[in-house]
Amino acid sequence: MASEGELGRKWDRCMADSAVKLGAGFGLGIVFSVIFFKRKTWPIAFGSGMGLGMAYSNCQHDFQSPYLLHGKFVKVS
Amino acid sequence: MATAAPGGRRDRGAAALPRPRHRPSPAAVMAARLLPAVKFVIKGSLAGAAVYMAYDQGLLGSGTQGAEALRKAQAALPPAIQEWTSYLGWELPPTPKFDFSPSDSWNKGVQTVMSALSVAPTRACEYTVEGWKYVKDLVK
Repeated sequence: MASEGELGRKWDRCMADSAVKLGAGFGLGIVFSVIFFKRKTWPIAFGSGMGLGMAYSNCQHDFQSPYLLHGKFVKVS
Repeated sequence: MATAAPGGRRDRGAAALPRPRHRPSPAAVMAARLLPAVKFVIKGSLAGAAVYMAYDQGLLGSGTQGAEALRKAQAALPPAIQEWTSYLGWELPPTPKFDFSPSDSWNKGVQTVMSALSVAPTRACEYTVEGWKYVKDLVK
């Protein structure tokens, strides 16, 4: 598996996840705006921003994953 | 006839009787107290259900789950649109497929631009020669 192919797949996953998170945040923002906040605009913007932030965090984790070392802390008794 | 009395209060006269105070029933009082709570519970349930559904479909999870959710939506959307349009009796053109890879499209775009730039000087010379020849033929 070529490294640039793997990088391309990661970018594809990142773009798809960004679209999904933005849509979900936008949708949940609309739901909360209608139900609790009397159809104000700010919950929609807040939800969309949260979705984008979650997507950015996921992308960052995905791109850095080869360099993250998951260690185990073993107590020597 | 109403007259203005000192202190600003109108004297309605002997014909005006005090209005009887209507006391609401205990059931109405309880309903008035419970109604906002019931409304809040219903609204909270709807919002919680929406959040749970989003979580259950993998929309709030990792990048892999989000990409998988998008793939499922892309697979499910055209048949659903087709079914609804046939139910409503509309005729729509076939829905375009959105199944493409952004990284592949970007790479192809970069390769096309770079190859065009690499042949640009040669092509510019060829077009200049042809243009010059055309002008010379016009002038003759």
